[in-house]
Amino acid sequence: MRQLIYLVLLIMLLVPAQASSSKSSNDDETTYTDFTLGIGDRVEVGEYRAELIEIQSVRDGLAVMRISKVGGALDEQRALLQNSANNFDGGAEGDGITITVTDILDDQTAKVRLEYKEGLGTAHRRTAEKSATVLDKPNLLVQKSFDKSQVSVGDEVKVTVFVKNTGSGQAMNINPEDMPPLPEFSYIAGYPPKIKDTLDPGESDSAIYVMSAVKEGSLRIPAIQVKYTDTKKNVRSNSSEPFNILIAPKNKADLRLKTTASGPIQINGQGKLNISLSNVGKASATRVEVSGDVKPSDGLQVTDLEKSFFEILPETEENYSANFVGTKAGNYIILLRVSYEGGDGAQIQEGKAEVVVLEQEYKYLYLLLIIPVIIIIAWIYRRYREYKY
Amino acid sequence: MLNVLMLGVGQCGNRILDAINKEAFGGGGPSKLAKYYLRPKFPSRVETLAVHTAVNDLKELRFTTAKDRLHVPNLHGVGANRNVGKQAFMDNRDMIMGEIEKRGDFDVAFVITSTSGGTGSSFAPLLINELKRQYRSITVITVAVLPFREEGSIYLQNAAFSMRELMEVEAEGIILADNQYMKRFSGDIASAYDKINSMIAQRLLFLIESLDSEMLSVTDLGDFKTVMNGGLRLATMGFYQADKKNTSIKDAIENSFKSGNLLYPANVMDDAARAMIIIQGSKEHLDVDEITKEVERISASAGHVFKGIVVKKGNPKVLSIFTLASAPELESIYAQAARGMQDEKEKRSRARKQLDDAFAHIEDLEEIY
Repeated sequence: MRQLIYLVLLIMLLVPAQASSSKSSNDDETTYTDFTLGIGDRVEVGEYRAELIEIQSVRDGLAVMRISKVGGALDEQRALLQNSANNFDGGAEGDGITITVTDILDDQTAKVRLEYKEGLGTAHRRTAEKSATVLDKPNLLVQKSFDKSQVSVGDEVKVTVFVKNTGSGQAMNINPEDMPPLPEFSYIAGYPPKIKDTLDPGESDSAIYVMSAVKEGSLRIPAIQVKYTDTKKNVRSNSSEPFNILIAPKNKADLRLKTTASGPIQINGQGKLNISLSNVGKASATRVEVSGDVKPSDGLQVTDLEKSFFEILPETEENYSANFVGTKAGNYIILLRVSYEGGDGAQIQEGKAEVVVLEQEYKYLYLLLIIPVIIIIAWIYRRYREYKY
Repeated sequence: MLNVLMLGVGQCGNRILDAINKEAFGGGGPSKLAKYYLRPKFPSRVETLAVHTAVNDLKELRFTTAKDRLHVPNLHGVGANRNVGKQAFMDNRDMIMGEIEKRGDFDVAFVITSTSGGTGSSFAPLLINELKRQYRSITVITVAVLPFREEGSIYLQNAAFSMRELMEVEAEGIILADNQYMKRFSGDIASAYDKINSMIAQRLLFLIESLDSEMLSVTDLGDFKTVMNGGLRLATMGFYQADKKNTSIKDAIENSFKSGNLLYPANVMDDAARAMIIIQGSKEHLDVDEITKEVERISASAGHVFKGIVVKKGNPKVLSIFTLASAPELESIYAQAARGMQDEKEKRSRARKQLDDAFAHIEDLEEIY
C-alpha cells in the first residue's frame, strides 16, 4: 500500500513537470488568428489591443486601425494597406504583434490577421459595445440608365447619369468617368456628363447626354465610375452597375402591297381593284407614290390607279380602289409600283394584279331573238284567231 | 265623228264587206298578210258585220274578223230562194238585230247586198226595215249589186223582186252597182268580182272619210241624204284618181263620170237628178274657181250638185254620187227577168204536160208481180 501511494505521488509529481516543460517550449512559437472586424471592433492578445477605426478605401484596400498596449507603451493609429503586414513592437517575430488586413469586405468590415507569439496567450475578439462612431463619410449612389430598353440603329438614346450622396459626409471633387461605348454609339450632345463638383448628404445630381446607335449588336454598357473625396481628402469612388443592351437593326419602313381585283368582267363591264398598302416596318413610310401600268395597254382602261400618301405610319395601312373597264377581251396585268422613303433611302415595292376580260356574254342574248319571235308569233296567232272563223 | 254601220248581207255583200275591211288595211291593195301586222284603219267609227246563211261563204272571208261574221243558221244557205231566206231572217231576227245592237248606235248604215242571191236579196229589205224601226234617226243606204245577166233566170227574178222591195222600204236610197256593166272593164269573171268589190269598197270608204272630214267646201251627211232622196232614189258612184301626168281638177271631175269609173251605166248629164261631187287633193291642185265652174256646168244639166273639197296631200281624187231620174238599164233587167220567168213557166208547163202524157200510158194499169 505504501508502495502504491509512493507511485501515485510520483506520478503526480511527474505529470505537472512534464506539462511545464512542454509549455516553455511552445511559448516561442508564432501563431496567428484571423478575425472579421467591424468598425469599432477590436482584438486583444496579451497586452495588445488592435481596433478597426475605419475603412478608408475599399478600392485601395486601406483600413485604419489603432494599435495600443496596456499601460500606454504603444498607441498608434495606422492606415493599413491590404495584404501588407504591419509590425508593432518588432512584430510577431519579435515580442510584438503583426497585423495584416487580408480583405476589406466593405467600408465597414475588414478581415484582419493577427500574428503573435503563443506566449502572449490567446487572441480574443471584442465587439464594440456600442456602434462605432459613424464618421461623416460620403457615399455616392451612382446610376447610369438609357431612356429606351430597345434600341435600334439610328435611334437616339438619352443616357442619364444619376449621382446621389447617400452617405453622411460631403462628397467633393466629384469626377464622373464614363467609358464611351464606341463604336456602337456616336455621341451627339451632352458628353461628357457634368455632375456637381460637390454633393452634400442626400443631395443628388444628374446629367444627360445623347447618343445615337450606329451599329447593331449586343454590347455591355460599362459602368460609370465616380471618384470623389471626403472631407478628409480620402479619395473614394463608386460605380454604377454595368448592363447589357441589344442594338437592333435600324428601323425601316416596310410597305407590303396587296391587290385584290374583282372577278372576271365582260366587255364594257366594270371592275374594281382594291389596293392595300400596309406598313409592317418599324419606321414610317413617307412620300409614298403609287403608279401603275397595264399590260397590254389596249383593252383595259384603269382610272384612279395613281395615288400619293404623305406618310404611312408603322403598323398602319392605307386602302384605296381603282376602277377599270374592259373594252377588249383578254388577260391583263396591272403592274403597280410603290416608291417611298422608308428610313433607309428610297425604296420600291412592286405588285401586280390580274384582270380577265371575257367576251360578251351571249348566254341570254338569244332571248333578244326569241322574245321578239315569240311576241310576233303570239301576235300573229292572236290575229289568226281573231280572223279565224 | 260619224258612227257607221256596214252590213254585208249574203255572199256578195260579205265579199264587198271583206273588200272594205281589206281596204281599211291600206289602199292600193294591201298584202294578204296585212291583217297579221296591221290594224284596219277606218276614217270614222266603222263597225262591220257580215251576215250570211252559208257558213262556208263566211269562212271564205279573209279580212273580216270572226266576231264580225254572223252565221244565220239555215242549213247551208237558202238556195237562192227568197222565200226561204225571208223565213230564215224572221226566225233569226232577234239574233241578227242583237248582234247589230251590240255594236252601239249609228248615224248611217250601209246595207250591202246582191239583188240576185238568196240570202242577201231576201234579208236586205227586212233588215232595212228592222234598222229603221230600231234606230229612228239612222240613215240607211243600200248598196245593191245587180247580177250578171247570164247567171240565170232565178237570179234575174230575185233581182227584180228584190229591187222592188228595196225601193219600197224606208231606206234613204239605193246605190246601184252592176256586175254586168263593170265586168266589161275587168276582164275575166274571177278578177272582175275582185275588182268590182274593190271599187265599191274604195268608193264607200272615200265617201265616209269625206263626210267626216273638215272640208274647204262642206258637204255632210245631210247633203248626202238630200242627194240620195233625189230622182228615183237610185244612185250610183263614180271615182277617179288623177295621176302625176295630169293633175287637172277639171279633167278629174269629168273622168269620175266616165263609163269605166261608174258602178252602174248612166249618162250623168242626161240621167242625173241630183249629184254630189267630193274632191280631195293637195291644195295646189284644188283650183276652187275651176271646180266651181265645172260643178256649175254639171249642175246645168244634172240638177243640184253638192260639192265638197277636202284638202289632203296627194293628187286629186274625185268621188261623184248622183241619183238617177231614169234607169233604163233597170227596165231592161226587169224585162229580161220577166222573159226568164215566162220561159221558166212555159218550160215547167211543157214538162208537166210531158210528164202527164207519160203517166197516161199507165193510167189504167196495175202493177203486176
